[in-house]
Amino acid sequence: MIYYIGAFGLVFIGLYIMLTKRNLIKVLIGLNILDTGVNLFLISIGYVGKGTAPIFSRGSEQVLMVDPVPQALVLTAIVIGVAVLALALSLAIMLHKHYGTLNLRKVKEQRW
Amino acid sequence: MRRIIGIVLLAIVVLGITLSLAEIPFGTPKTHVGDYYVNEGVKETGAVNIVTSVVLNYRGFDTLGEITVLFIATIGLGALLKTHKERKKKRDVTPASLVLSTGCRFLFPLLIVFAIYIIFHGHLSPGGGFQGGAIIASAFLLTYLGCNRARANERRYKLIESSGGLVFVIVGVLGLIFGGYFLLNFLPKGTPFSLFSAGIIPIIYIAIGLKVGSELVSVIDNMVGESV
Amino acid sequence: MVSPVLLIAVPLGLAFAIPLFGFISKKISKYIPPVAMLFNLILSLMLMPSTLKGPIVVSIGGWNPPFCINLVVDSLSILFSVLIALVGFLVSIYALDYMEKKATEKYHILYLLLLVGATGVVLTGDIFNLFVFFEILCISSYALVAYLGDKAGVESGIKYLIQGSIGSSLILIGIGILYGMFGSLNIADIASNINSIGSTALLIPLALLVTGFGVEGAIFPLNAWLPDAHSSAPSSISAILSGIAIGVGVYALTRVIFTLFGVSSIFPFLAILGVLTLLVGEASAFKQNNLKRMLAYSSTGQIGLIVFGLGIANYHGVAGGLFQVVSHGLGKSLLFMAAGYMIYRTGSMDISALKGIGKKMPLTSIAFTIGAFSLIGLPPFAGFASKFLIIQGALLKQDALFFVLAALVLLATVIEGAYFLKVCQIIHFKEGNNQKKKDAPLVALIPMFILVSLIIIIGIYPNLVSDFLNSAASGLLDKLAYIEGVLG
Repeated sequence: MIYYIGAFGLVFIGLYIMLTKRNLIKVLIGLNILDTGVNLFLISIGYVGKGTAPIFSRGSEQVLMVDPVPQALVLTAIVIGVAVLALALSLAIMLHKHYGTLNLRKVKEQRW
Repeated sequence: MRRIIGIVLLAIVVLGITLSLAEIPFGTPKTHVGDYYVNEGVKETGAVNIVTSVVLNYRGFDTLGEITVLFIATIGLGALLKTHKERKKKRDVTPASLVLSTGCRFLFPLLIVFAIYIIFHGHLSPGGGFQGGAIIASAFLLTYLGCNRARANERRYKLIESSGGLVFVIVGVLGLIFGGYFLLNFLPKGTPFSLFSAGIIPIIYIAIGLKVGSELVSVIDNMVGESV
Repeated sequence: MVSPVLLIAVPLGLAFAIPLFGFISKKISKYIPPVAMLFNLILSLMLMPSTLKGPIVVSIGGWNPPFCINLVVDSLSILFSVLIALVGFLVSIYALDYMEKKATEKYHILYLLLLVGATGVVLTGDIFNLFVFFEILCISSYALVAYLGDKAGVESGIKYLIQGSIGSSLILIGIGILYGMFGSLNIADIASNINSIGSTALLIPLALLVTGFGVEGAIFPLNAWLPDAHSSAPSSISAILSGIAIGVGVYALTRVIFTLFGVSSIFPFLAILGVLTLLVGEASAFKQNNLKRMLAYSSTGQIGLIVFGLGIANYHGVAGGLFQVVSHGLGKSLLFMAAGYMIYRTGSMDISALKGIGKKMPLTSIAFTIGAFSLIGLPPFAGFASKFLIIQGALLKQDALFFVLAALVLLATVIEGAYFLKVCQIIHFKEGNNQKKKDAPLVALIPMFILVSLIIIIGIYPNLVSDFLNSAASGLLDKLAYIEGVLG
């Protein structure tokens, strides 16, 4: 149960950072925290009490194993999170080159 | 006013999440799909690491999408950061101390050997292509930081990235031609626990490992060349 | 019969191979996206007749359905696949000249992978696979919006990226909760077991998935990114984003709401949200002075109309909503393609700078005018047939709420007519300065006129597409055929 609370706690912290902070780098760190929270939630769904890692070793009988599917999902989700973060950081570099500041409130060239 | 709305909204969301999570008790086995993979995985795919057989065999299409996502991020990064003129400027940093540069040069081949071990044994122990690729990238990052090494050759990285992805798609299409299903495991499965087992899984993992490693190194290379 | 996997595998392989081709010759990379999309178009058209009998189910890797990923190609999927391949093919031919100086091989790789992601979303039958292909679509569009590297593009790109990635994380939480409740990731498997969990517990995954897909599909409170992104991107990318990417977002919403959940209490809420989006979009478009921003706001309005059609949830409404997706895809791409060259020749994005362009670029202006008429909903064009079906569906519902909403839709159509006709008047009837004729090049005019002829043909003979629309609508409203096709 504590894993669920921890995972959703990370999700809410990440969302709060992304929605309220002004500096772009802080917003991207919030994105990273959000991704981490979601991945933790996905893995904790698959846990089976007293199970071990789903890898057979030589000479062991059938032991209780945790669910391998969420681990595969999280493998994919981590890579997708890294890809988005890399692209976002390159956009942050370009933004700083054009505007000279990373403050999102000041970057408002487009009118309504 | 906004804070009150925000707090009320948050309370509703938390209540809703608790209601749904009450359906998912922690620590109980929930699925028949997971049990099937654990029980039948070794017989059907030959890989002892069940997570690998799920990632590459049962849900191999997701892995194909995942390497595409990393490819897009690398290409997008290269396209965006290329519009600056000063990419090839040599960095003016203080050179690293003797201990640091010697240590980096000593550690670099050890890291590469470790990465190759993890990639090759993806189906036998925890590990695989993505993990090994990340270790290769950290080996190169170490030399950028410690040894002040020269810039990388972009053509070589492009070649490795494209060929890695193309190998995966071609193996899938070969499965379609030989067996009638995309990504069918058509090579012999061998005996479990030996290095050359599990059909197409080691081949794909080697391609993925090289691809991910070269992509992450070229991302680091592009970002190191930026002077902000 | 060829396997539908090739619809995804062949363009993906070609996209990976573009850098290898680039080692041989630099000029060849701009011809590869048209070739790949032509292959997709021919293959989708060949597969179309067999989907009318029942969904084609292909399993990846040879395992049996709940234990593998499968592609489920029913008539809704193949309709979207044909639309994606057609618009992708035409815009890539347009980009042969439009992006001549600015595009390297990286543009073509990103463009082709965007279309691969879109095709993958509509063909798959597994919810996590849908998320992965949806991410491919979103990330290529983040990179392409900021492709030119100018001030506006980078700013729009970063705002789009932040909002889009929050949406994607919400989708992932929703998928996690669904997996925990039902134990499987296959859409048909979850759909057949959906009644075993009480409907209050299902509300949170539904809300998370609708919010997450709604960010990309541009539903009302979540579409703050759209005007900036679609107006700052290069025009060929705006055509693809407005025509296809938000349509694919609406497909994902539809698949989740109708096939996966099938709850009937959300539909009036969806209809109200759709009309709200429509009114806000059209009213904002009316005040714009920037041509591409006006077209972008008009896109949000049209998506509101499509969502309203789907929210009516009877036979005519759903068929009308799907028809509107087709006519919006064709019409909006045509408008952005024409606007691209008009902006390029006049050098400015203001509407007032378009004075007299009707004499300077006659063919392009005719194409723009026909696209505008189709989007307003005037009779011989495709937009009329689709709007008529939606209003008919709303009136057949015999409910006071839907009468009011239908009246609001007609009001929005009047506003839309006002601003489009204002632009057409400026183009054709005002006097500009230099009068020499210098139209868009032939390579750009051919795709525009193929779209013009398709809009006119579908407008006059809607029976060409109505078989597929009817089969798609009934497939959505009654999901048992889908489940039986997959699970047997």
